[in-house]
Amino acid sequence: MGIVIALLMAINSLYAQANTFDMPKDSSALKIERPVNSAFTFDMGSSSILDTYLSPIKYTGMNLRLGYERLQAMKFNPVPWVMQMDAGIEYQRTKNIPRNHSMHSLMIEYQWGMMHRWNVMPGLQLMAGGSTRFRGGAIYNSYNSNNPVSPKIHWSLNLTGMAVYNTNIGNLPVTFRYQASLPFIGAFFSPEYGESFYEIYLGNLENIVHCGWWGNRFDMRNVLTVDLHFGRTSLRIGYRGQIETSFVNNLNYHFYTNSFIIGVSGEWMSLRPRENTTEKARIISALY
Amino acid sequence: MKNTLSQILLMLTLSGFLINLGSCHDYVEYANDPYGNFDALWTAIDEHYCFFEYKNVDWNEVGQRYRAQILPEMTNEELFDVCSEMLKELKDGHTNLVSSWDISRYWIWEQYPKNFDERLIDEFYLNFNYKQASGIKYQILRNNIGYMYYPDFSSGIGEGNLDNILAYLASCDGLIIDVRDNGGGFLTNVDKLVGRFITEPILAGYISHKTGPGHDEFSEPYKYYFDPADDTRIKFLKPVVVLTNRSSFSATNNFVSIMKSLDNVRIVGDTTGGGSGMPFTSELPNGWTVRFSACSILDPDGNETEFGVDPSEGCKVDMDTTDMLSGYDTIMEHAFEVIAEMRAAGI
Repeated sequence: MGIVIALLMAINSLYAQANTFDMPKDSSALKIERPVNSAFTFDMGSSSILDTYLSPIKYTGMNLRLGYERLQAMKFNPVPWVMQMDAGIEYQRTKNIPRNHSMHSLMIEYQWGMMHRWNVMPGLQLMAGGSTRFRGGAIYNSYNSNNPVSPKIHWSLNLTGMAVYNTNIGNLPVTFRYQASLPFIGAFFSPEYGESFYEIYLGNLENIVHCGWWGNRFDMRNVLTVDLHFGRTSLRIGYRGQIETSFVNNLNYHFYTNSFIIGVSGEWMSLRPRENTTEKARIISALY
Repeated sequence: MKNTLSQILLMLTLSGFLINLGSCHDYVEYANDPYGNFDALWTAIDEHYCFFEYKNVDWNEVGQRYRAQILPEMTNEELFDVCSEMLKELKDGHTNLVSSWDISRYWIWEQYPKNFDERLIDEFYLNFNYKQASGIKYQILRNNIGYMYYPDFSSGIGEGNLDNILAYLASCDGLIIDVRDNGGGFLTNVDKLVGRFITEPILAGYISHKTGPGHDEFSEPYKYYFDPADDTRIKFLKPVVVLTNRSSFSATNNFVSIMKSLDNVRIVGDTTGGGSGMPFTSELPNGWTVRFSACSILDPDGNETEFGVDPSEGCKVDMDTTDMLSGYDTIMEHAFEVIAEMRAAGI
């Protein structure tokens, strides 16, 4: 993570002079306000799971997700730098081809990242940066004997990029956003090919934690949203696609979801009652 | 700025390329027809079963022989019968094919004497007067020998329950643990029960698993140890006899193999039913499930017990029909003699 941040800081210094979000020269007189862009979302869609520790058969079914996202300009350099926090809990209920067996998957995840942004043309921002994500949960197949559960624990460092376009449709302000996240290294858990959890319980922990890289694991996430700004709060609709694949210990894992997103978003600013407000405040939004 | 845009575009292009990289880990999807389901079953066993070498099974030959019996127009029942017969070649009680109307099986105990009559024990030894906790039936017998009958290792054993049972039996001269007709259950209960008969950590055995689809791809056998129960718990360290028959299977077989290694324990009765392979489950495109031995558990001496654990030396006993008609359990009576001999020997 440190390498990514250092890389981004270097890029930042290279482009600092070219940044179109130029700060006023007398910035000390200007109070910077950094509103929090928050969104609560609900995803509903389809999922597809193949986990050969549990079954050689691909299971398909539904995907549900509750998510919270927070974006904010960063304090140390609010104009070009944006932080993003994303947390979610999701559930997949899937069935095999004859629809007589079910698999249930429950995952939680937390991601924090920072991105550098460039205002490439009026209304359009591009962002690129890094993030770290923890994702954990389990897939459960109730028909199995000593292989009923496949725990999924994954920590990763990710590359992420975002495009934000603010415009109007008629009189309605809207914000289009596309974000792609691509883990490039991390660590994840996998039992060995035919290893039971009883053996792990007995203390055999050999070869169950793996360094995740593109040779044994590839994940990607794509999110496309539209915020319709009806007033102080906005309606968010969109699409989220998740790809997780791994091949380690001769175990094959494919996890795909395609979901429709609906939610509410808005920008919130905290007030400090004991501090005087100033007319020279400047609001630096993370998205708008 | 143009450079930056170029870099971002390059990254997105690379992302698109890597989506394809992620799908490189292909898998085989079998058709849901007689050939597809047969091949899926044969492959699941071929890649995961752990006893091919030990049982000297040529699975390729077996597959060719039974695949020749598959016909495109055969019914599900006919396909099930062919697949079931193929699985019986493994001679494995942990290997079953499960459909909505039947479960194929190879149950070794069907070929041997039953060697157990619970009613006889209840009536003539317990006088229908016994206590019961954690699925364990227990009582002090007329000759001051404690008796515990544990019929199912799936029944959870509470530490507090074991304390109560062993406190009640503490004054006995010896203890009989009857696990006849116990078809197995949770291995974690084995640990809990054995811990009451040891004072130091013991080598309980070895466990090995497949590391890949090849028939010879196994992990190094992993030594595992059992610890004694906490010092605050009640233990029984006087002579102990474990009663077994061919229906003492799976986790029970594991329990017997470990108890046999203890100095103050004798195994009396018939050879156990085996089942030392820890079963995993897979499935076929038509929704049938197949259970099979996936991990091999060896006894403390490093021996396979897939075909059972023999009784202690001189302790192989079958039930005598005449004894049974007279209200005697031949195996139980022999256990009394063994405990008397152990006491005489100062154990």
